Amino acid sequence: MSKFVERPRYVCALGGAVGTLKVLPRTIPILHAATGCGGNVALALNQAAGYLGSGYCAGQALSSTNASEREIVFGGEDRLTEQIANTIKLIDGDLYFVITGCMVEMIGDDIKNSIKKFDGGDVPVIGAETGGFHGNYYKGYEIVLKTLFRDFVEQKTVKDRKLVNLWGVVPIQDVFWKGNMALIKDLLTKLGYRVNTFFGDGETLDNLRHSAAATLNIVVSDTFGVEAAQVFQEVHGVPYISVPFPIGDHGSESFLRRVGSALGIANAFVDKVIEREQGYYYSYFERLGDVYSDLDLQRYAVVVGDSNYTQALARFLADDLGWLPELVVITDFLTDEQQDTVRRNFAGYESGIEPELVFDTDASNIGKYIAGHWGQSNGQRYFEGFNPGFILGSAIERDIAEKLGVPQLTVTYPISNRVVLDRGYAGYAGALRLTEDILSTLVGSR
Amino acid sequence: MDYIREKTPPVRENRLGACMAFGGSCCELSAQSKKGCLYNNNRTFSQSQGCQLTLSLAILNTIRDSVIVVHSPIGCGASLVAQAGIAKGFQKLRDPNAFGLRWINTNLDELDVVNGGEEKLRSAILYADREYRPSAIIVMNSCVPSLIGDDIDAVIEDLQKQVTAKIVPVHCEGFKTKIQATAYDAVYHGILRHLVGVEKYEDPDPVIPDELEELKEKYRISRTVNVLNVSSMSRMDEQELVKLLQSLDLNVRILPCYAHPDDFADSYEAALNVSICATHDDYFSEHMKTKYGVPFILETIPIGIANTNKWLLDIARVFRIEERAQKLIASEVGALEAVLTPYREFLTGKTALLGGGEIRILTTAELLHSLGIQILGLRGFHFDRYGEALLDQLLEDVPASERAIINIGTGQPFEQANLLARLKPDVFVGHPGGNGWANKQGIPVFPLFGQTYNYMGYLGVFEVARRLTRILKNTSYSRNIVKHARLPYRKDWYDQDPFSYIDQGVADQGMAL
Ligand code: SF4
Repeated sequence: MSKFVERPRYVCALGGAVGTLKVLPRTIPILHAATGCGGNVALALNQAAGYLGSGYCAGQALSSTNASEREIVFGGEDRLTEQIANTIKLIDGDLYFVITGCMVEMIGDDIKNSIKKFDGGDVPVIGAETGGFHGNYYKGYEIVLKTLFRDFVEQKTVKDRKLVNLWGVVPIQDVFWKGNMALIKDLLTKLGYRVNTFFGDGETLDNLRHSAAATLNIVVSDTFGVEAAQVFQEVHGVPYISVPFPIGDHGSESFLRRVGSALGIANAFVDKVIEREQGYYYSYFERLGDVYSDLDLQRYAVVVGDSNYTQALARFLADDLGWLPELVVITDFLTDEQQDTVRRNFAGYESGIEPELVFDTDASNIGKYIAGHWGQSNGQRYFEGFNPGFILGSAIERDIAEKLGVPQLTVTYPISNRVVLDRGYAGYAGALRLTEDILSTLVGSR
Repeated sequence: MDYIREKTPPVRENRLGACMAFGGSCCELSAQSKKGCLYNNNRTFSQSQGCQLTLSLAILNTIRDSVIVVHSPIGCGASLVAQAGIAKGFQKLRDPNAFGLRWINTNLDELDVVNGGEEKLRSAILYADREYRPSAIIVMNSCVPSLIGDDIDAVIEDLQKQVTAKIVPVHCEGFKTKIQATAYDAVYHGILRHLVGVEKYEDPDPVIPDELEELKEKYRISRTVNVLNVSSMSRMDEQELVKLLQSLDLNVRILPCYAHPDDFADSYEAALNVSICATHDDYFSEHMKTKYGVPFILETIPIGIANTNKWLLDIARVFRIEERAQKLIASEVGALEAVLTPYREFLTGKTALLGGGEIRILTTAELLHSLGIQILGLRGFHFDRYGEALLDQLLEDVPASERAIINIGTGQPFEQANLLARLKPDVFVGHPGGNGWANKQGIPVFPLFGQTYNYMGYLGVFEVARRLTRILKNTSYSRNIVKHARLPYRKDWYDQDPFSYIDQGVADQGMAL
């Protein structure tokens, strides 16, 4: 049984569905939900995501039935049909996607009855049940992807051997999604492949529509988007691999090797790509030698966030930057099985660091884990402690950082104290951005 | 007014016959409102709006030394996620020891929908008490527990025996009303029932009655006004109003935003409740009058010279210090007028469309008009009798506004886009949250309120004039993005009647479930 969450860092499945659809090109989400659900998630999908903005047709513009007592008592299917018809009439899009909130599901509205009426129309109308009680943001992402793969992606018999699809970088919940997609796409392009990211720069709905032609689906996550990959495989016969989200040299090298082997690329070629990337990466990294040593910029670190980011950040800090990320707090809802998979990504560090890994959704407990790991000062003269320390987490961790007097960088959701446009942290180039941001936090407060 | 014996407050559709779907001229709206035929609340196409739970949080997330428990699936109260990292700064302006936002979501899932969520609520309240030892735990009820029949009042009543914090239930289920402002009644209902008039944790030492002290105390109360602040006010706004009232020798207590839960206990020990905005405060003020005999003023909001004057005089009348107030006004207005000239010169002849809460836009329109700006139209979130009075005032003060367009609807940026394309104002003065759309149409935006800027009182007039002038001095940002951004509406929308999707057929009189 699930429990309450103290300061959750995600919204509900409905929010995840709105968020995912909001950034899918030319797609118009239509919300069938109680009066306030759309407005309720709007700030979380904008301000808490590095000021992403309202998008093409979300925020206050999100089409919504605003169901209230009349619909709750008498049923809202007619109202939904009317709303879909008028949305198509008024809003210019290429795909209309109906999603639901808790209340309309609980009263038994069946969106299929309304959607059916638009079969064979000029524009596709599809839908899914995404009520908040089904889970959190990631669940909404998963449901939307599954529905798109099942109901929108066209069957393909002829495969394109040089095309792959990529997902698992969860838009908005990964605030740097757009930059990250571009960076990972760039790595795969260097391996000689064309890549659909569905949500990234330069994507169109047609890429998604024809994505069943791909030779492999690459899920850059051990947790998010995996079920959707199974659906894709079932419906379209495209196999998938699930690989951890890469940041920095160590993460990216293993990413490239795993993708390379799944695609059957010659090792020698992968080696060459890696070598070139490393040359570039370390030509900058080595410049830090002076400041890193002169100021002793090595830190103990705590990493807080989702299962995608935490493993990538901890690996980067430990194996690339030479820090001591000794405590990692993962805040997702995960099954025991998923926890086991995730745990594997925190082992076998080249640096020999073995982070203490905790799964906890409650923000207040992070301070307790820090005290537990490093001990609490009682004013004694000789004290080991979390010092010099650094916290990589979300805006929620600003409080604990302030309390402990340690610097902090906000990189996981929610991010309300930074503006994020096309910045990304993935791969080699992204890790350089991250290094800039982390070390600037330190030298900026000198 | 006396609803506080009930567990839940009525919705505004019923209590005030509030309307939220109208399009026409100011003159028509005033006439129809008087005939009592304004009860349209539906559209055949609608865009998302907030619910009363979201808006309740705007007040409740400012209350000091408390923990909010949102009893719902994981997404309700999502605005807290956006504010988590930044709320502390605003709290610190009022309380240097502020600790930022503390909240718990009960995370109702598929199983709870079947089995009920009371156990989770219980564990969340107990955790909040144990972990934080707060003065108050505020429990927000949402749609799902309401539909599955969780009895949050029973849970609270039971737990109150074991918990030292005062537990305050707030019944703010989103689906019950389309008028988001019902939130204010929901919040005040909880505060009135559970915080006002309850005992403070005071020094238990028996005090020997001292007649002189008692007299002094009585005098203090007779000069104390409660200023009912709103979460859209800035600290600077508060300071300006406090300064004005203090120069009339009044003591000022500010409630409810950023107050400590204990501040409400003896809040009825006041000579007057001073509303900043009727949309926020009528429920509280009326109840404080019924239950404790505290009179109130509520007619206007101190925005613009005319309304600030009126606000001050209304207060002064209660204390019979009108002459003093007149003197204060004369000196303030004299000093202000002298510095406004260059801004008036720059702003005269410019045009504006305004959007936001009824009270705020109608008074801001008067302020803009006094600076020489022509008002082309207004968009109000909802409309009720308090708006009617201010609208009539505006029609009297600014006769030209008769023909100005007025559109009632919460959000609904598609109507806004159509109006902006038609009216092409020089500036859009809008409620935060919907301003980006105007920018994308190439129209510069002046936010209707902001937590870091001053809008109220005499200083507010100067500040608005100054900032408006600044914003219009360089409008390159909106001019640049209009070339590259586009709104989602089809081209032919802009040729249609902006109000074509207002459902004329059905009146929604908010059935009681
Ligand atoms: S309308 Fe109901 S379900 Fe939706 S956010 Fe508001 S309280 Fe939650």
